[in-house]
Amino acid sequence: MLEDDNAGTMRLETIGWSEWDPLTRDRYEMERAFISRVKPFLDAVAAKMDLYIPRKVEGHYVCERYDAGKHTAPEFNEIRVCTPVKEFLFPLRELAAVFPEAAEPREVRPFAVFGLKACDLRSMEILDKVFMEKDFEDPFYIARRQAMFVISSDCSAPGESCFCNVLGGKAYPEAGFDLNVSPVEDGFIIQAGSSQGKSFLSTQASLFGDVPDDLLAERQGLRDEVQRQLEQANTEFQLRAPAHEILEQRYESDVFDEQAETCVECQACTRVCPTCHCFYLYDTVQKDYFAKMKMWDSCMRVGYAAVAGGGNPRKVLGDRLRHRLMHKFAFFMERYGVDMCVGCGRCVDAEAGDVDIRVVLRKLSDELKGKGKAVAK
Amino acid sequence: MIANLYQPINGEIVEIIDESPTIKSFVIVPQSAFSFATGQFVELTLPGEGEAPFTPSSSPAMTEKMEITIMKAGRVTERLHQCTTGQPVGIRGPYGKGYPVDDFVGKHVYIVGGGVGLAPIRSLFLTLVDRVKDFKSLVCRFGARTPADFIYKDTLFGAWQKLDGVDIKLTVDQADGNWSGNVGVVTTILDPKDVDIDNAVAVVCGPPIMMKFATIKLLEYGFDPKTIYLSMEKNMSCGIGKCGHCMLGRYYVCKDGPVFTYDQIQKYPKIWE
Repeated sequence: MLEDDNAGTMRLETIGWSEWDPLTRDRYEMERAFISRVKPFLDAVAAKMDLYIPRKVEGHYVCERYDAGKHTAPEFNEIRVCTPVKEFLFPLRELAAVFPEAAEPREVRPFAVFGLKACDLRSMEILDKVFMEKDFEDPFYIARRQAMFVISSDCSAPGESCFCNVLGGKAYPEAGFDLNVSPVEDGFIIQAGSSQGKSFLSTQASLFGDVPDDLLAERQGLRDEVQRQLEQANTEFQLRAPAHEILEQRYESDVFDEQAETCVECQACTRVCPTCHCFYLYDTVQKDYFAKMKMWDSCMRVGYAAVAGGGNPRKVLGDRLRHRLMHKFAFFMERYGVDMCVGCGRCVDAEAGDVDIRVVLRKLSDELKGKGKAVAK
Repeated sequence: MIANLYQPINGEIVEIIDESPTIKSFVIVPQSAFSFATGQFVELTLPGEGEAPFTPSSSPAMTEKMEITIMKAGRVTERLHQCTTGQPVGIRGPYGKGYPVDDFVGKHVYIVGGGVGLAPIRSLFLTLVDRVKDFKSLVCRFGARTPADFIYKDTLFGAWQKLDGVDIKLTVDQADGNWSGNVGVVTTILDPKDVDIDNAVAVVCGPPIMMKFATIKLLEYGFDPKTIYLSMEKNMSCGIGKCGHCMLGRYYVCKDGPVFTYDQIQKYPKIWE
């Protein structure tokens, strides 16, 4: 797990790469740039702030802190890293409150994450809706979110469990990043997606070359090809209606109980899920103060909804799976207007049992067919 | 920095009242004036031990202190029962929506309560009594396991019974030698002639099993599901609709409740479990 040494706010503008002459800003405002190797680009980012990059371990990517001296050949990840992006914004465990005297929040240092994918950016949008909701803002999340410099990249080959396209996702980011990196034959196109991203490209202009139109065409060709592969790989998981409609109509289906049979309650699905955000608060005694901690929790845990008096509405595993999917697709859609699932497939990879969210959705979808309520997506 | 929603304000327990063998009321003075609407709840922290949700039992009109009635039910409440006056506590909130008292104006208010469920009801009752002429009547039907298990005995057996516009009936599951009232669960003292059902709202608060059968009875008597108000006490942790523990179907009980009409939640399974 990543260290929790963040709390408080600091905008990137205050210490970032805004040190160029404002009079020449327009002239150097760069939308996109070309670079042949990723290393000098990462070095330039790491010179300004902590940078996390992917590293492949036994077939999966994890995140680690970039060290310009050590990482002589940083990797470009084909797909999302295992680490859900929520770990950067809402760590496994964090200090929520101190008393009797409230503590001054610690400062959040600006940090960058390289190698986020389109599904990760969508998961951040979802978490933003929860933790940045008007009147219910979570100060710790917001402090980290504002301090984060988001460097995403195109997926270059879909993974076995990737199914973002089933839920309307794409293999390449279109919004939500500061910079996006697209591999092309001889290097990488770096696209700015925010004023901070543009400022970075402008101030580091000497690192980069121009991006001619034929290079953009090449990028589009590669993107289309990966998207085609993704669609092909997920033919069998296509749904007959939007997921929220399927869940609303099949709420009482036996599929949940059947599919939960192989669940061993490892809770890995909720841990690695980039959109699951349940937590619990607990109190501890420190040397000379009391602390309230905030820690991830899982709705698949048997005691999750239990009350002190002994009641528990979801003692049965199938009921917990039903609730988890209802929350993701029906309840969240109703409240926030989006699915609370980005189709990243992390839960499929992590699951110790044999519950596959793609299969659960498809089986529910198939039941619609039986009911004569099929709707083409 | 945005205000920290997880930071409680400090308070102190200044008085502890024994209500029943398992229930005590705690009078708490918050560091600064604290307002809430009746039926809203607070998260009460016992520093270093834990936090739990409670609906204050005092009138919202009183802001310099509040009363919270607590039954020994789990780890935190067990520890709270061991506390003495002077104990520092933390308070977060108030959370949720509470009772829509203004919607009750011009109607009979039929209040059905059991056990420690009388705690939120006391706050509501005090609020309604303050403006009793706004309502057709306040009809209360309360139950407890034994006479000793009734909380707020002094007022319940005394002053409240004498108030104009208020009709209170009590029942116990098991009587003792001094009990001359009804014996039986609370549904045995519900009578369709108690109020004009077409112009009434019902408020139900108590143990889940009691709420279930009271609701069934009220529906049987012709109450519209939209007029039955239920206090759904789940294991609210964050209080702000994020942590997920209290979800009841699509609702966060902490944010959308804790008071719901039966109409809002009837489609969800196992609501009484």
